[in-house]
Formats: sequence, C-alpha cells, structure tokens
Amino acid sequence: MRVTLEKSAFLKALNHVQSVVERRNTIPILSNVMIHAKGGEVKLTATDLDLEIVESVAADVAQEGAATVPAHMVYDIVRKLPDGAQLELNQAGDKGRVAIVAGRSRFALQALPPEDFPDLSSGEFGNTFTLASTELRFLIERTRFAISTEETRYYLNGIYFHEVKLGNHLRAVATDGHRLAQSQMALPAGAQDMPGIIVPRKTVLELVKLLEGDDGEVEVSISSQKIRFKAGKLVLTSKLIDGTFPDYERVIPRGNDKILVADAKQFAEAVDRVSTISFEKSRAVKLALGEGKLTMVVNNPDSGSAEEEIQVAYDREPMEIGFNSRYLLDVASQVKAETMRFEFNDAGSPTVVRDPKDEHSLFVLMPMRV
Amino acid sequence: MRIRKLSEGTINRIAAGEVLERPASAVKELVENAIDAGATQIDVVFRGGGKSLIRVTDNGCGMEKDDMHLALQRHATSKLQDDALINISTLGFRGEALPSIASVSRFSMTSRSRGMPDAFEVSVEAGHFSKPVPARLHEGTEITVRDLFYATPARLKFLKSDRSETTEAVDVVRRLALAHAGIGFTVVTEERQWLNTPANESPRARVSRLLGPEFMANALQINYVGEDFSIDGFASLPTYARGNGAQQFAFVNGRPVRDKLIAGAIKGAYSDVLPPGRFPALVMFIDCAADRVDVNVHPAKTEVRFREASQMRSAIIAAIRAPLATAGAKPDARKSLSALRAFSQTTWQPLSFSPHIAQTVLDLPMPVQGFSEEATAQPAFDYPMGMARAQLHDAFIVAQTANGFMLVDQHAAHERIVYERLKAESATGGVQVQPLLVPQVVEMDAVSVAAIASLQDELANLGLKLETFGETAVLVREIPAALSKANIGALVKAIADDVAEQGQSQWVQERMNHILATMACHYSVRAGRSLRIDEMNALLREMERTPNAGQCNHGRPTFIALNMKDIERLFGRT
Repeated sequence: MRVTLEKSAFLKALNHVQSVVERRNTIPILSNVMIHAKGGEVKLTATDLDLEIVESVAADVAQEGAATVPAHMVYDIVRKLPDGAQLELNQAGDKGRVAIVAGRSRFALQALPPEDFPDLSSGEFGNTFTLASTELRFLIERTRFAISTEETRYYLNGIYFHEVKLGNHLRAVATDGHRLAQSQMALPAGAQDMPGIIVPRKTVLELVKLLEGDDGEVEVSISSQKIRFKAGKLVLTSKLIDGTFPDYERVIPRGNDKILVADAKQFAEAVDRVSTISFEKSRAVKLALGEGKLTMVVNNPDSGSAEEEIQVAYDREPMEIGFNSRYLLDVASQVKAETMRFEFNDAGSPTVVRDPKDEHSLFVLMPMRV
Repeated sequence: MRIRKLSEGTINRIAAGEVLERPASAVKELVENAIDAGATQIDVVFRGGGKSLIRVTDNGCGMEKDDMHLALQRHATSKLQDDALINISTLGFRGEALPSIASVSRFSMTSRSRGMPDAFEVSVEAGHFSKPVPARLHEGTEITVRDLFYATPARLKFLKSDRSETTEAVDVVRRLALAHAGIGFTVVTEERQWLNTPANESPRARVSRLLGPEFMANALQINYVGEDFSIDGFASLPTYARGNGAQQFAFVNGRPVRDKLIAGAIKGAYSDVLPPGRFPALVMFIDCAADRVDVNVHPAKTEVRFREASQMRSAIIAAIRAPLATAGAKPDARKSLSALRAFSQTTWQPLSFSPHIAQTVLDLPMPVQGFSEEATAQPAFDYPMGMARAQLHDAFIVAQTANGFMLVDQHAAHERIVYERLKAESATGGVQVQPLLVPQVVEMDAVSVAAIASLQDELANLGLKLETFGETAVLVREIPAALSKANIGALVKAIADDVAEQGQSQWVQERMNHILATMACHYSVRAGRSLRIDEMNALLREMERTPNAGQCNHGRPTFIALNMKDIERLFGRT
C-alpha cells in the first residue's frame, strides 16, 4: 500500500472514525483503525463491535492495499503535523509496520493484519429509504433525552423507530419509564413495511455528532439486526438492540382535560430557581395550580423551602401535583415556542406536555408523590 | 584481684545461657538428639510450661553404659567423626546441650543401647553425677528434666507465661516434625495432647496434617533441582498471604532455620504478586551437600551460611516463581469457600419504599423478549477459564466452565495482563538511562558504601551508575529514566540496606515494576465498562496465557471458581 493525502482532509475523517474507538481494549485490534486504499480514495474504518464508522478521503493511491494501525496514535500524529502538509502512508515488505512520512517526519507504526479486522457492514439490508439529515436529527434530538440508561430493561436503551400506518408517519419514541418522548415525520418513500427497530443510545449520539451542520440527505438501510446510515463520504453501521419495545401507546393519556398554558422561559427559570434547595437525588417540586396562576413549591426539611408564582392560563379547579424538577427542565428545553402546554388529569396520573409550534412531538411525564 | 579459672559448673551454666534461652530450647536440643539417634518415634511430655517437667523419650540407638557419664561432659559428642567441622550431617555437633541442661536442672537420663539387654540410669543434681544404676526401658533413651532453670533464678524470672512457653515448645516440635515425616511425634502437656503424628508419613501428608488442608488446597508444589542441591516443598498462592511470616517454615538439610537470606529470597520471589507487608505461607526443604553450608554460626543453629549465597538466593526465587507463574488457572480455594458461605447466608431483605417522596412510573407493559443468539450459541468448554456468559454490574464476568463457573474481576484480570505485557516489553527494550547534570552525593556509613560498591556493575546494568566517593559516600552519576522522579538518596540507601542484609538487592527492579504497574492500571479496562461477549472471551483466553494471572498486581485474586458440587450443595442437592 502506498498513498499520499492531504493533512486536513485526513484529520477530519480520522476524527470522525476514532471517536468510536475505546481507549482500553481487551481485543487489541479494536484499538486500531483500518486504512484501505483503493481507486482514488482511502477508506478509514473503526469499530467497537456494536458500531462501525467508515469514512472515505480522496487520496493519490500509488499502490492499493489495506492495513490497521493504532487509531488514537495515528490521530495524534496527524493532528500535530503542520497545516497543509502532504503525508504519505506506506506499507512495504514488512507487514507488521506502516510508515507515515510527512516532510521530514517519519513514523513507523505497529500494524495488525487487516483480515482480522471485524466486519460489521456486510449482510443483507431489506429496507432502504432516504430522508433529509435535518429531519433525522430532529427526530433524534426530540427524543434522546428520555432514553433509559438502566440496563435491566435493555430494550429501552435506545430510540424506537417504526412506521405508523395511521397518517403514514415514521415515528421515534424513547422512554425511561418515568417519562416518554415521541416525535414523528412523514414516512419516507421506501420505508413502508419496515420493521420496528431500536437504535442504541451510543449510535444515535454518535450520529447526531457526525451529522452536525450537515444539510444533505441520509440514506438509511435496515436489516433485522443492523442499521446503516450513509451521508456523503460517511457510513455508520450499528447493531440494533435485540429486543421488543413495549406497547407505549397505552401509557399516553388521551383524555386529560385540565389544560394549562405557561410561558416556557418563565416556567423553566422558576423551576430552576426553586429546585436549588431540593434534595440532590429526588429534586421534587410541587406545582400548585390555581386560577390564572401556578405556584412552584419546594420543601426540604434539611435546608428550608422555596416558592415562586407565575402567571398562566388556567381556568379549572385547583390541584397540586409533584414532579422531578430535572424532568420538567428537560421537557421545557425541548419547547421551541414561547409557551408550553400541559394537559393534566390528577396528581397520580401521567401528564402530557406539548410544544404549540410542533404538532409532531409530545412528551409524557409521570408525577412524583410528594 | 586475682584471676582464676571458672569451675566446670559455672562454665556449663554460662553455656546454658546461650544454648538454653527458654524451655523450648531444651525441647529442641533433646528432640534433635533423638532424631540424630535414629529414632522413629519421639514422645515429649511438657508440664508447667516446661519448668516442672520436660521428658523426651525416643526409640533410637541409645547409649552404652560406659558412655553415659561422658555424654554429660562438655564438648563430648558421638556426632563428629573426625574433628573437621566441614561435613556436618547431624542436627547437633557441639556437645553442649546435655551438660548445659543438666547444669541448670534436676536431670536424669535412662538409656538402653541397641542390642543390649539392660537399661541404665544416670542422674545429675547440682553438678553431682550419680553412678549408672540399672533401670527399665525399651531400646532408646529417655531424658527427664525437672525444675529447669532452678539453678539460674534470673533466667527463671524472665520466662513468659506457662501458656506461651508451651506454645513455643510445641512450635519447635512442629517444625522438626515437618522436616522429618518418617518419625512419629507426640507432645503432651497436663491439659491435652498437642501433637500426634504417625511415623512413616509422606512429606505431603505430614505438611497437610500440620498446616491444615486449607493450606494444601492453596499451595503449589515446589521442586527445583540444582547442581548439587535441591529445593522441595509447598508455597501458598499469593492470595493466601498472611500479615506476618509465622507461616513460613524453611529447613536446610532437615534443620529448621530462620534465615535472612531465605526470608529475603521468598520476599523476592513474591515481590511481583504481593504488596509489601503480606507474607506467603510456605514450607521449603533445601537439601544440599553438607559442605555447601555452614551451620556453625549460632549456638541455637537457626542461622546458616551458604557457600554460594547469591546462587542459592536465585535458586530459591526460581524454585518458587516457576509454579507461581503457571498457577494462573488455579483459583484460590479459600476465596471460593468464603464466596459460597456468603451465598448460603443470603437472606432476602424486603424492598423498602420511601413513603414520602417517590417517582411514579409509567405503566409500561413488559414485552416478551426473544433469546439473544449470542448468549445461547456458545460451544463447549474446552478452556480452563470457560466461556463468558454474562457481565454483572459492568465489573464482573461470569464464565461457565466444564464443571462450574468462574467469577472474574475484569479490571484486576486485565491489569495483570497489561502489566505482564509491559514488563516483557521493557525487558526487551533495554533500560533508558538519565545521566544527572550534577552527580548526587549520597552520604552513608562505610559498611553500606562497601556493600553497595560490591554491586556496582550489576546496578549499572539496571541503569543506576554510581561510584564510591571517599569512604562514606557514593556519587550517583546516572539513574534509570523511569525513576527520574524518585528520591535518589532514599533509593540508594534502601539498596544498601538490602545488600547488607541479604547480599543482594531487588530494589531497582521493584521500583521499576511499580511504575509499570501504575501504567498497567491506567491502560486496562476498568470496572464500569460494559464488555461484549467477544471481548470477555478474549480476556479469558489471554488470562490462560498470562503468567500470574490468578492475582492482580496488588495480590488480590482476579477470579474465583465455584464448582458444580459446591453449587449443588448450596441447594441441598447432594
């Protein structure tokens, strides 16, 4: 293998792929990035066995070939090269070494055989469809905060993407059992009859990072065990969570009729202020609903109490309900409109929160007993 | 004042002060005599902490009637054939014990020489020997010591409680019994029998009887054959270590010794797998040609000198390290047992709910989940460490083996693997040396300077280059780069202390290993990292290949094994 490439392009691609490489590995080759030179480009691959990122960089390929080298080390070397440098990668007789030459710098890195590198991207992908990168990011950003990190219910450790026949939607749902977030978009062509899939948390976080600022299109392919995202020069393949997502629609209340509309910013700031004195762990804040006003109360036997009142639109009978302040703030941060809309039933039942400007999303919160 | 020669009685009492420190010393001398006499059964009776009665009876070769008086003379012995002190093959040889004991006690000795029809008794009191009178005894010798130390009241005052004198005496016999598995021993006091070992036991059975089956279950066999010496015995796994060296029994040609060289070598052998302050349990028999070792160092003969000390030291280290390195897959039996005990004591605590503040939960139905292919489709268990089945709390790996399961601490296990790899790398990479801009003068006493100068070349190979600077200082010119942050003065002094004590020093090596261990900790998988099945299996396979994989760098176990039989017992199935 012998190729010449430009520093900044190589660095950008390396930066993308090396982020999945763990610092400490029990399988040595997982610390490496595979460099595959073919045609007019170099393809970089890195994986943690659940997630694989491939990115191509244009290069001047003098001799085709493949090798794997320590990912973090290559990244650090390339990062420290002067801007605009041209660098040459080459592997000659010794298959155990890869040389990097840039200007007067020469490095020889230990290489492991590319045949041993795990391959995640192979296999049949049944459904393939295309959607705008911004749309995909929207679905993920609206829901990812509710993904569970608790591992006994591993089927909640991701976002559930599925087709909704009624209204023809592609819907994303995440829940940790305390709250639920749902968002949807028009079903893209090609996604009809796709299976419902659970995309792991790490994959969606990585995807959002890689697609940041991108306004192109993303091609999504799905098999029963994997999902693949293609965006420009970048291909991300991930295993899916092997599980069944619960029948979440049952827990979304349909008949909550106590409607409260508050100024979103005012609400969030007030919650944030009063929760300052609440317990670190439970962070319970009590909402007292009265005509035209909402009072937020926090009582902490160890440190004192706090209370703040804001003006709201509410005209039903008074009620009191407690929430984890963290959950209230998470939801409030999702609201893009100036106001946010709460739909209550009673102090022990789920409450629905909506963004008046976003008819595609809804959030469900379970109260706390206070 | 005129100078006069001391009387024979006084001389004997002075000698007794050296040889007979406490009742246990008398027991030791008498039992050693019995062993030297070729006895196969030795019985010890011990009363009143040894102050009222010590009686040692053996079935050895006995003494002729005419020799009995001579035996009680100072420097009279049957054990040195010619007067050369080179080939000492018996435990005793100084000819001091009997007259010393006899001079400070009411003493009587009965003996019947092998093949003779009659036994005779001689008694000694206040320096007066009785004539041999006929007595009754089987073949052998019986020595009865009453009122020990009555003639030296000062010594009597300094004895400890009866209880601790008894313990000490039993320990003396126990040590001798360890080394002489062919001989039967009993020790009886007024309250109970302390020791009873049948004659003609195998060494393994004897060690197991005296140190307990738990030691045996956690011990590795030592077997090392040198040019004209051999080292045998049993060394405990590092995880079985104790807080002191009381469980270390070393013998040179059947003689119990407490020797600095040997203790230092044992410490060196375990230096990589035990933290300072932990001591392995160990029984070690060193057999060598009598002329390789000088036992005439100390009246009580607990110290010895080897002719080629450093060779012996490295042989001991090699003898212990060989089984330790391959013991990777031998789990600590004690840990498994205590794990089992913990399991069987488990009782359920009812889950508690806070009545006041509680987060309510969405009433999500629990969907029926399919089986993951990965976890179920695993082949047989041809591997000692088994196949990974699951990870608990992102910290422990559960592996199923052919006859039970393993619980592996992922961080401890990986740390050892990385550490061994780093050590191998640093061994092949050579030592990086940092010359000092200003050579450092370390002031020490002349003895330490001489000691450290004798190792100059060896230390230079490790990257520590120094030279003597006058008689009471050394000048350090270069240090290993890895130790560039070390306190050079302290380092050099520690080395000098080691050399003075053991003729050797592992300090530089140990400090470098310590630094590698810190790096290993940094580069290994921590608790809290979730591992995939493939990664867990890779770790298990690597453990099987790595020396010392049974414990992490701090001597903690990396895994415990539970076998099916124990698990079944937990459920009352056997």
